[in-house]
Amino acid sequence: MRDEPYRWIEAIQDRRDYIEDQLRVGSPVVGLTYDEGMVLLTIGRGQRKIFEVHDRIALSAIGHPADIERLRMLVTDTASVQGFQNATEDVNLHRLTNFVLAHTFKQAFESIVGEAYIIKMLLAELGSTDDKNRFTCINYDGNVRTETTSTVIGGTEAIETGMQNYLATASTDTDRDLTAALQLGLEAWAVGKELSSREPEEAESEETQIDTAQMHEIIDTAREDGEIEAGILEITQRGTGKFRLLTSQEIEAALP
Amino acid sequence: MNQEPKNLTPSGVGVINHKGDFLSLLKHANYPLKIDLPSETTKHGGDIEIAHSTTVVAVRYRDGVMIAGDRRATAGTSVIYDRAEKVLQIDKHSVLAISGSPAIAYEIARILEHSFQYFRRSQLQELSLEGKLRMLSRLIRENLPMALQGIGGVIPIFALYDLNAADDENGGKIFFYDALGAHFENVNFATTGSGSIWIRGVLRYLSRFGDAPLQEMDVQQATINILRLLDTASEYDAATSGYNAQAEIFPNIKTVTSTGVEDIADDELKACYAEAQPDAETV
Repeated sequence: MRDEPYRWIEAIQDRRDYIEDQLRVGSPVVGLTYDEGMVLLTIGRGQRKIFEVHDRIALSAIGHPADIERLRMLVTDTASVQGFQNATEDVNLHRLTNFVLAHTFKQAFESIVGEAYIIKMLLAELGSTDDKNRFTCINYDGNVRTETTSTVIGGTEAIETGMQNYLATASTDTDRDLTAALQLGLEAWAVGKELSSREPEEAESEETQIDTAQMHEIIDTAREDGEIEAGILEITQRGTGKFRLLTSQEIEAALP
Repeated sequence: MNQEPKNLTPSGVGVINHKGDFLSLLKHANYPLKIDLPSETTKHGGDIEIAHSTTVVAVRYRDGVMIAGDRRATAGTSVIYDRAEKVLQIDKHSVLAISGSPAIAYEIARILEHSFQYFRRSQLQELSLEGKLRMLSRLIRENLPMALQGIGGVIPIFALYDLNAADDENGGKIFFYDALGAHFENVNFATTGSGSIWIRGVLRYLSRFGDAPLQEMDVQQATINILRLLDTASEYDAATSGYNAQAEIFPNIKTVTSTGVEDIADDELKACYAEAQPDAETV
């Protein structure tokens, strides 16, 4: 098939359409920094979605659970071995992304006879100082996007744009506390959820305005058959490992 | 056409699901866990002769376990280091006190620490208490050839706090290992290293006939007793250091309680020393 460039490009495009179609309804994930670290947040339906990779690295993803699990193991194994063979300080997101994950994603996506990974991954790394915090999103095709104070992954680009626009307009204050970060994150999640329930053409339209009451309604509905899940990388945590999942009580307390 | 995904990294990382087993992961990543010596360097035949020049001691007290070690490292009759750390935190609620070959002991502690973390990260749950004990057994057993060669034996004490213990129960637990990796739970105290022979009887006496049972002591009383025990060991064992007043080098003492592992700070140790040896001009 590689001898016929046109068919190869066509096959890649079919693959892209197929994966994006599968990803479209995935529950978005929001990553935000707050005054004492970073938080990843989503509303899941039973399956855990936020994970600890290493001392200062957390992971979340949308996609097929088996693919998420496989790639989560790949990055966790690599980080664990590197952290042991060298020192835990030598494990960093940049190396994991560029040397392990990105090319794995790209290769799987472009080897059109093999299985594709249905996944969008979001990783967070707590830096030694605030300005070194990093969010990295890796698309199923291996494209990498890095951000410093907030990021999102959602089913389609339109959903992500809508959520990011909301984050940009809602808050410019990066010195928010955890409660404020959780609230903002949930609102952005609601925006993403709403957009993912619209038809693709509608989601791309400019009319993404959703008022606060609507957001809370969306969150309440989602919580009826799901649960808010939030994991933090916390600078104040004792010891070298900075990750922990928030308890349901902590999340409850942050809700308005 | 090759349909295998060629996309996972070499050396077994990511190819095999290790099910939380860090040792298996390390082996597949070609990490050398053992040093294989040529057989002619084997000096001791079948005898296990463990060089365990040190004193580490653990006692159960009111809030959990207190575990301590002296700071001296020796090579033959020479003191080569006087600030060695022999009490190593493994995770939030467990501590390993080492006696024996330091190179292997530190390696075992490091593998143990990473193993617990790897299990939690990959399996999304904490390794159980029994699982932790077995992991350490396995590491000690894997090290048996080195122990037999007389250069790499390690006999640790493993102390942890069992968070599943009932509210009215002391969750502090002390485990003692032999060179083959068998573990035994010592109910109230354990000690190992060359100085341990001088204080094991004292511990037994304190525990059974002391003014207050060891397990009812508060932090300060337990610290004072531990300091006295280490002082006693250092009096008779050349490989165990006492308190160096000039350089202010104190033993390492850690507590393992329901809230985690903590060091007893030097200031507190200094105060306890004054009480431990009230009539000593220079302690």
